[in-house]
Amino acid sequence: MTLDRRQFLTGGLAVAAASMGLTACGGGGGSSGGGGANGSANLQFAWWGNPVRNKNTAAAIAAYTKAHPNVKISQQPGEFSTYWDKLATQTAGNKAPDIIQMDMAYIAEYGKRGALLDLAKYGADTSKFVEGSVDSGKIDGKLVGINAGINTPTILANPKIFEQAKVQMPDDTTWTWDQAKEVGAELTSKAGNGIVGMAVFFNDAMLSAFLRQHGKELFTASGLGFEAADVVPWFDMVLAYQNAKAMLTAAQLTEEAGKSVDQSALAVGKAGMQMQWSNQVEALDKASGGEMKVLRFPSVSGKATDRKAWYKASMLWSASARTKYPEQSVALVNWWVNSPECADINLAERGVPANTEILAAITPKLSPDQKNVAKFIADIKPELAPTPVAPPPGGGKINDTLTRYQNDVLTGRSSSADAAAKFVDEAKSNLKS
Amino acid sequence: MSVLSELSHIHVDKARSAEDRRAQRRAAGRDNKSGYLFLLPWLIGLFVITIGPLIASLYLSFTEYSLIQPPTWIGVDNYLRMLHDARLHNALRVTFTYVIVGVPLQLILALAIAVLLNQGMRGLAFYRSVFYLPSMLGASVAIAVLWRQMFGVDGLFNQVLRLFGFEAKTGWISDPRYALWTIILLHVWTFGSPMVIFLAGLRQIPGMYYEAAAVDGAPRWRRFTKITLPLLSPIIFFNLVLQIIGAFQSFTQAFVVSNGTGGPSDSTMFYTLYLYQRGFGEFEMGYAAAMAWLLVVIVGALTAINFWASKYWVFYDD
Repeated sequence: MTLDRRQFLTGGLAVAAASMGLTACGGGGGSSGGGGANGSANLQFAWWGNPVRNKNTAAAIAAYTKAHPNVKISQQPGEFSTYWDKLATQTAGNKAPDIIQMDMAYIAEYGKRGALLDLAKYGADTSKFVEGSVDSGKIDGKLVGINAGINTPTILANPKIFEQAKVQMPDDTTWTWDQAKEVGAELTSKAGNGIVGMAVFFNDAMLSAFLRQHGKELFTASGLGFEAADVVPWFDMVLAYQNAKAMLTAAQLTEEAGKSVDQSALAVGKAGMQMQWSNQVEALDKASGGEMKVLRFPSVSGKATDRKAWYKASMLWSASARTKYPEQSVALVNWWVNSPECADINLAERGVPANTEILAAITPKLSPDQKNVAKFIADIKPELAPTPVAPPPGGGKINDTLTRYQNDVLTGRSSSADAAAKFVDEAKSNLKS
Repeated sequence: MSVLSELSHIHVDKARSAEDRRAQRRAAGRDNKSGYLFLLPWLIGLFVITIGPLIASLYLSFTEYSLIQPPTWIGVDNYLRMLHDARLHNALRVTFTYVIVGVPLQLILALAIAVLLNQGMRGLAFYRSVFYLPSMLGASVAIAVLWRQMFGVDGLFNQVLRLFGFEAKTGWISDPRYALWTIILLHVWTFGSPMVIFLAGLRQIPGMYYEAAAVDGAPRWRRFTKITLPLLSPIIFFNLVLQIIGAFQSFTQAFVVSNGTGGPSDSTMFYTLYLYQRGFGEFEMGYAAAMAWLLVVIVGALTAINFWASKYWVFYDD
């Protein structure tokens, strides 16, 4: 299985490299042909975000249209939760925006169904991107999404709570899942005030890490990458964390899922550690008023190099396959990810830029938190394993399914073995061939 | 009948010649035309916004439709699949529990408060508004969010329990054993609109019945069961039908309280929420359309049963 996937990935890389070479020979093909004469275009630009991102994005669009007066861009900002309903209906009505901010959870859903443009064909430039950051945007060998910022799963720890409880900060280059559980239990027993060792810790990202460390994957190119027997130890482990009082109760975990980052148990000082994607570090620090320590997630063997880390695109830039202006759309995306001008406006708000030159250029301007994250992302390079494939169509909701069966185990409604069998059944039947 | 035939006689008498009849028909046609013209806004709405999508969804229910690609015809596969969809069966169980428990409780509470308010107390308008308030707010997102806060592990409700020395450790919305009941409570609390209708109905019952019964020495409870209930039965029936249909379609509360997941462990997975998840979350709009039609059949059948049963308990005083 693993071999197949690797071959698939290298194949994809070769295709991308070839097409990049071709377009480079074409020489500035971005400004000719397509919908409008002389590169003029009327683009719809959709993204989800927060107030800061909306402001940045509008400013960047204004800068682009000033430099390219014949390109008009209409903005469609949105909220993550409603963004996907809207995009689905727009796509169904043949009115998809030209430029689409995409998420890893949905890229296969759209990409496999031919709704996204092969960006490499129209001159997408990812030549300066750090290794491992381009693959996530490839579906069936086509580059349908360009990394808009690098993300990696981390464990955030609150040093204040560790001090208060007089518990030593764990060495994240050597800690195992069992040791993490002990640290969590120790925190719970020593910190007092109802503070608990871990808040949300076990989600799809950590399951993916756990499976990879056991030689499996969450998904392969052809479907689900694991069997029921592979998740039984996982459910056992989650239950062991609960029994050791290392983490929040099942009911509390359910409530955590409905909270925003700034309301989460770690942010409000009710837990010592929490699983978090790296692009959320700044939001969490701001909400908590402190500085969280960014830790590597644990491993089975106790060696950081065995933990099978990976870079994920925090989000991606895609274009509609039906856009009237493919060249102009890709030109805009190129400008977005490769120009210092745009990077100056957006900095690392969408995640650490994948373009190494851009990252070097903006690093002095980053906030301390963002610098911290950028350093972490650079530090873990030797620990990276092949990038996981994007969830196939129907796989984007696997975290919801996992959470449900995990809750069954934690509340004693189901044994690990039962939950594992049902979880795998359902995850499989959700995938569409 | 007799009136009708007399009318037609008049017609025949008036329109003696063929020309007259034609003129009359033309005039009638003109009248109809202007009638339809006035109806046009409604007709357009009916066909474009209601019947069109209705037919489209019936068609889609026989297709596989991802929204992104055009639908492909798969016959009755979606309907067959529903037979084996354990989560759908769970959603039906949850929704039926909600309707069967929530609707009667809500109606009983609404009737009780309406009877109380109908005692000719002072400041009725004020109390009526106060009791109606939850209905205006209850279906709103804000209240559902409030509910989430109140019934959480560290919510207000548990804090009060702890004041009284109870060891309240679980969350009333986050424990699969209680979550649905908390939402049913929210539903019961929004008893305002059936209450107002009951109140109007109670006002229609002539006071002399009660006076006569009181003279005969009938106690209060007996007056309620023998006068109020039978005379109010058409109103009860009306509320019952409307509330059942409404309850089957409830979505907002479960969506907000469970953060769109129907959790914990699918314990608040309402039928409409599951339909929404399948359609928009998992891009199975064909299956979602089939689910919608199953809901139409269920609600239709229940309403039909309701009307049939009404013969045996609803009393029309005319």
